[in-house]
Amino acid sequence: MIKLQNLRKSYTTGNQKLEVLKGLSCHVKEGEIVAIMGSSGSGKSTLLNILGLLDGFDSGEYILAGESMSGLGERAAAKYRSKFLGFVFQSFNLIGFKTAIENVALPLYYQKVSRKERTATAMEYLKKVGLEDWALHLPNQMSGGQKQRVAIARALVAKPKVILADEPTGALDSKTSREVMTLLREINKEGITMIIVTHEHDIAALCDRTILLSDGLIV
Amino acid sequence: MFNRDTWLEIANTVMTHPMRTFLTGLSIALGVFILVVMQGLGFGLQNGVKSQFADDAVNSVWVDSGRTQLSYRGNKANRRIKMRENDVEAMFQQMDTVEVFSRRIRIWGLPMEYRDKQIYFPMRGVDPGHQELENTTLTGGRYISQRDVDEERKVAVVGNNIIEDLYDNADPVGTYLMIQGVQFMVVGTFNDPASRWENKMAYLPFSTAQKIFRNKNSGDVVDQVIVGTGSMPIPETTNMTASLLSWFKERKVVHPDDARGITMENNNEEYERFQNIFMGIELFIWGIGLLTLLAGAVGVANILAIAVKERTKEIGVRKALGASSASVVALVVQESLALMIVSGSAGLVVGVWLLELVSPMIDHEYFKNPQVDYRIALVALAILTLVGVLSGVGPAIRAVSIRPVEALRDE
Repeated sequence: MIKLQNLRKSYTTGNQKLEVLKGLSCHVKEGEIVAIMGSSGSGKSTLLNILGLLDGFDSGEYILAGESMSGLGERAAAKYRSKFLGFVFQSFNLIGFKTAIENVALPLYYQKVSRKERTATAMEYLKKVGLEDWALHLPNQMSGGQKQRVAIARALVAKPKVILADEPTGALDSKTSREVMTLLREINKEGITMIIVTHEHDIAALCDRTILLSDGLIV
Repeated sequence: MFNRDTWLEIANTVMTHPMRTFLTGLSIALGVFILVVMQGLGFGLQNGVKSQFADDAVNSVWVDSGRTQLSYRGNKANRRIKMRENDVEAMFQQMDTVEVFSRRIRIWGLPMEYRDKQIYFPMRGVDPGHQELENTTLTGGRYISQRDVDEERKVAVVGNNIIEDLYDNADPVGTYLMIQGVQFMVVGTFNDPASRWENKMAYLPFSTAQKIFRNKNSGDVVDQVIVGTGSMPIPETTNMTASLLSWFKERKVVHPDDARGITMENNNEEYERFQNIFMGIELFIWGIGLLTLLAGAVGVANILAIAVKERTKEIGVRKALGASSASVVALVVQESLALMIVSGSAGLVVGVWLLELVSPMIDHEYFKNPQVDYRIALVALAILTLVGVLSGVGPAIRAVSIRPVEALRDE
């Protein structure tokens, strides 16, 4: 599903050029659930951003679902993003003034799906994460675990091939973390590839394998 | 573009910061309000002055004489110029057509008596044409006729003040009025709603007034002559007046540059001068109004910039979820537009309401009927829309350039 070959990425701050990814290569098969671990500064956030088509890279290859992601313009990136990828963030990133169901429906809105269809599909996915009773609640009326589940529903609603999760349990207590991970594994069993960036070993242990990142390279 | 979702979005953003939105909207509303009210007041001023001029027939030339300023051909300065009958006749001959005219004799105050009551009132001896030239509205009886002048009859037409003060509001037509010991029959009454001075006037036939109230030396003196120019266009009137004036000055041996010996005033020019003043006032009003609106627009742009900054994360999330740049721009500009139109309309409504409220309370000679020209209202709204879009552009561009990467960084 995902193939990275000799990926390089540098950031320029002022006159300093910082090379974050130094020729990274890796391969993730379809249906795998993979953890990416590394200390701060290892480049894992950068890697996740590149995988998520939220940022470009300087050189190397990134093949997603058989298509090359090199040199994509903003529009093309947005298109592929909504077609193939779903995101789950550490701080949930739900839109505060929208209800749960509106949040879940948002990706569909940007795919120009009609209102009726959007709402129906969103409800379906809210059911899948067990939150159909909370459809009309606002994010600030929900607990951390519930918000993350809404975010997961949102990530799933456009039927992505890959879900990228950046420390999905980082803001949750251990019990809720386990619940969320269970949910993610269930989703993974339905065939959706998952990449989870984490610094917690217990979370990594629940994945098929772990990719260790250090100083911009896989070790 | 403005579908239900959009409105929900806008409503939400407004509700998040109600006070801030309200204050920004207020500055816009205030700008529009000021523009509308000032425009209405300016209009009222124009109307008032126009109605004053409607009082005096516009197309006329007023010939007057006074004292010379400059010495000329052996004559000293400060010499008194007197127009005489033969001057007037010669002047009429100089003109192509004389449609309406009136000679005038004026005496500032004469004792007028009716039934043991005696009050001083001004008097004018005139020709019948005076009614049209002064735009006198009769309220009873008739005006001075040609026959009155030809036969030197002792008749009078009196103004409203005379009726009030001397006659205690009784109808004077048909009664005898004693003017400086001479009996006159009142044949008509008039009322001039615009001039209190005019209403104190008693009009007599020119010939009668001349004969009775002028001594032998000044028996043929004419104080003033008014000539109607009818439908003659203004440039022609100006030319005619100029050439007539120089002819008359020659005749009475007055220096061509002398501004006081002989004067010929053209009502048209006065009117035109007023028109120019009004145009100036209107430009001024528009200038201020637009500048106020501009200030409001800057305020809106500022607030939008802040709002964009605050919503950086949200915009980043939206972009990550597939939002196009166009939709982000739309998000910002729609809010700006909605804000401007709503607050602008509010300002407009309040401004119009205020003018309507105040309008009947104002009753002044030079101020009538302040009103909003609906074209002005539409223009103001069009400007607002334009400004609203422009205010949104800067912040919108900034919003578009937000990179999801940076926006979503959790550090």
